[in-house]
This record gives sequence, C-alpha cells and structure tokens, in this order.
Amino acid sequence: MYKETLEKLQEATITFEKGLNKVFTQQYNPFYYHGAVPNFFMWTLFITGLLLFVYYQPTLDSAYISVNFITTKLPFGNIIRGLHRYAADAMMIAVLVHAIRVYFTDRYRKYRWIAWYSGVVLLIGMLIIGITGYILVWDERSYMIVLAMTDALKQIPFLGLPLAKIFVNGDVISHYTLAMSFFFHIGISFSLLFLLWLHYLRISRPVTDVPLGLGLLLLSSIMIPASVYPVASVNPAVLTKLPTQFPLDWFYLWIFPMFSGMPALIVWTIVFIATTLLFALPFLVTDKEKAPAVVSLTNCVGCTLCAKDCPYEAIYMVPRTDHPKYKQLAVVIDARCSECGLCVGACAFKAIDLPQNHSKEVITKISDLLKEPA
Amino acid sequence: MSKKKKILGIVCERSVDLKKRVKNNKLVEKDNVSILEVTCSGMIQPIMIEEAFKQGAEGVFVMGCQIGDCHYREGNKWCQERLLGTRPPNIKKTVPKEKVRGYWLAKCDYGTLIDKLNHFEKDLDALPAPEVKS
Repeated sequence: MYKETLEKLQEATITFEKGLNKVFTQQYNPFYYHGAVPNFFMWTLFITGLLLFVYYQPTLDSAYISVNFITTKLPFGNIIRGLHRYAADAMMIAVLVHAIRVYFTDRYRKYRWIAWYSGVVLLIGMLIIGITGYILVWDERSYMIVLAMTDALKQIPFLGLPLAKIFVNGDVISHYTLAMSFFFHIGISFSLLFLLWLHYLRISRPVTDVPLGLGLLLLSSIMIPASVYPVASVNPAVLTKLPTQFPLDWFYLWIFPMFSGMPALIVWTIVFIATTLLFALPFLVTDKEKAPAVVSLTNCVGCTLCAKDCPYEAIYMVPRTDHPKYKQLAVVIDARCSECGLCVGACAFKAIDLPQNHSKEVITKISDLLKEPA
Repeated sequence: MSKKKKILGIVCERSVDLKKRVKNNKLVEKDNVSILEVTCSGMIQPIMIEEAFKQGAEGVFVMGCQIGDCHYREGNKWCQERLLGTRPPNIKKTVPKEKVRGYWLAKCDYGTLIDKLNHFEKDLDALPAPEVKS
C-alpha cells in the first residue's frame, strides 16, 4: 500500500516536471537543479550576510539602531537586508521542495542514506539559524522569541535549564544574549558547509550550481520582493514592556504559535517524533537482497573508465601485482553500489557486471529477440 | 510498400512506461519493434548495439529518461555521450550511425515515443537499400 502510493507519487512528480519543460525548457528547468537551487540561495545568504555583518552591532542598545542604520542610511542597505530575508525564505521553500522530491522519487534511501541523514541535520540547522536571525534585529518580535523560547526550553526535563541558560547566555536577558544569538547564527551557518560536505559525500560530480539563466531568474525572484516590499523591523524591544502583536515568518517561526497553543513539552515531543520519523524513513521500505556489481579479475585491464563513470563513488582503483601487464584493478565498495549498471556500460572488456543482469545475458537476449520471426 | 523494418529498442526500465504495452517482448502497437529492458540506459554497452546489427536488426533505438533526470543521476547522460561518440567506450565505426537513435523520454511520454518511432521507420525506409554482394 505504502509502496504503491510512493510509486504513484513518483510518476506524478516526473510527469509534473516534464510539463514544466514546456515553460522552462529542459536546460533551465529548476526541478532538474533541485539540489543546486537551495545552494544558490545559501550563497546569496552568505554574501548578503557578510555585508550586513560589517555594520551590525550585537548589543541590546545598538542592535536595533544598527539594523535601522543599514536599512535607511546605507546605499542599497535595504536591498541587502531584503535579499537576506527573502533568500532565507526562498531557501526554505527550495529545501522543502528538494526533500519532498527526493522522497517522492525514491532517491533518499539505501546507498543515499548519508545524504538523507545529513539533509535532516541541515534542515534543523537552518531552523536554528533562522530563529536566531530573527533575534538579531532586536525588535518586539525578537524579544518575544527570546521569552517564548526560554520558557519552552526550560520545560525540557534535565537538559532544559542548561539549554535555556546557554540560549540566554546567563540568567537574564543581557548584551550577551544577543552575542550568543549572533554566534549561533553565524557559527551554525559555517557548520552547514561541513554538513554539505557530508551531504555530497558518495556522490560523484554533485550538481551544485544552476545555469546562468536560472540563476538570474532565482535572483530576480528575491530581488523583486526585496525592492517592492522592503523588509522593516517592528517596534524596538523594550525590556519592561511585553509585546503583544507582531507578524510571523511561517517558514522559520512556526514553532512559536505552537508554544502558545499547547504545553511546550508536547511541542518538543512532536518535534522529537517528527525528527525520529525522518531518520527512520529510509528504512520503512524493504527491498530485495542487494547484488552489487562484480569485477572479473581476469578481464579487468585497469582502464579506470568504470571508476570515473560511477555516480556514487562506489568503485576505486587499487594497484595490482598479479598481472604482468595491467597495473590497476577496479574494486567495488558493496555498500555504496546502487546496482545501476553504469559501470557495465562503461566497460569495454566485459570485466564488470551485475549478477542479476549480466551483460552476457543481455547480449544473448538481443540475439534471441531478433531471431524470432518478425 | 516494403516490409516493416525490424527495430530493436534497448530501453531503460524507468523511462516510458511500457509494462502494459509490451507483449512477448514486442510493442503491442508495433509488432516490428522488439523491446529489451535494462536497469538504466547507462548500462547499455556499445557491443550490445553492435550485436543487434549483427543479428539482423535494421534499426536500433536506445531509450533513457529525460535528460536532466536520471534515477541513477548520470546514466542517460553517459549513454547520450556514447552515442554521440564523445565518451569511451566508443561505438565501432562499422555500426551504421544513421540506423541508431537515442530517445530521452519520461514515464508519461508513450505518445511521443510512438511518434518518434514512426519517424524513425520513415527515415529507415528512405535510406538507400544496401548493396548486395554476390
């Protein structure tokens, strides 16, 4: 049942993307760059973030003023700030589309589990970066985020108090609170790069860049809202006054309405269960037994073509001494093999084959098929 | 009108959905087209195409998924490059290139496939008859 639904979803996804080719053409179809699109927004965030970093001051007194200074006084300051905000939302959308697509098209498990796991951690990292980013502005919304988050963190048994203390960076809200948020915001951003390395691990030639045309389209998709609907802070935070109303960013701050609607412990349980489910997802479907590619010791000449063509870095070359002429031998790492057979197509020496779909069998099948009277 | 040309399609099992459209390894709609499914178009060796011509095929087409979308990431790209001759192993020069086609179609593209095959048949018919050596 679950498996059949997934198959239907896969077909629907592919049909939908095929339809989009009529608008974008195959070369610029964003769905064929679904991994590169979030990457594009991430680099936009890094660059705009770097520019904001120059003028931002993380203290209670000057954070709001410095953000306002960037927005109103600096040339193009409001555009940079707007790009930073809208790129963050766009990145969240792109990441969700990316995740849903790999899930629907069955490209998240088995030999790709490491990409899925690092992806879940990347998503959590993004949420923390987003929430701490909204604190940095230090307007009423930021104040409310700090208050609600501190209360919610305290509800976690055992870990709660220390976590809240780290989050506030002390017992009460002070300059150090903002410094901590600033540290989280930037520190975790850089750790994304390490996680991305894990994300790309075992993928040969990951597609990380969009073509120029698509890049311009994506840039305009955040540039236009940034100039038409400039981002502005709400009222400055006053520690003695509790804020009542403020607009929400549903992509990053969705957890706060939950906090006001139910006990924090239940919210944390829901978050915990959802994360566990995401981690368990690759193992919910069972498959036939694995039958990775096999290298023939007598036929392999060490030409490296299969190792170059393997899309999952499952083949590597080792030196060999048992042969007078050939100096290298291809070796398959079974756990990484996807049984796709690309190595078979790359081999001109019948030296690597899939046990369940041997190239010899394919060739006999070809002659059988053609011998039948047409 | 001459007899319909014998065509062999080596097809990725994830591209056009042929499950209900193939009987006895032949397209129901076109019984001169034999179909052989492989895991991915990237698995197709040039020897397989050579073998098909050796066994009397009059046209061979290779079909993989939409370029830009391969389940195994790069299979259709490699296959396309091999057909174009820019990626080793290369197809032997004895293989008549004008009788080989590569189609890159998604699951839902059955209609397009039939159109393309009709076109292919026309092209094959238009080719000059091979000289018979006596």
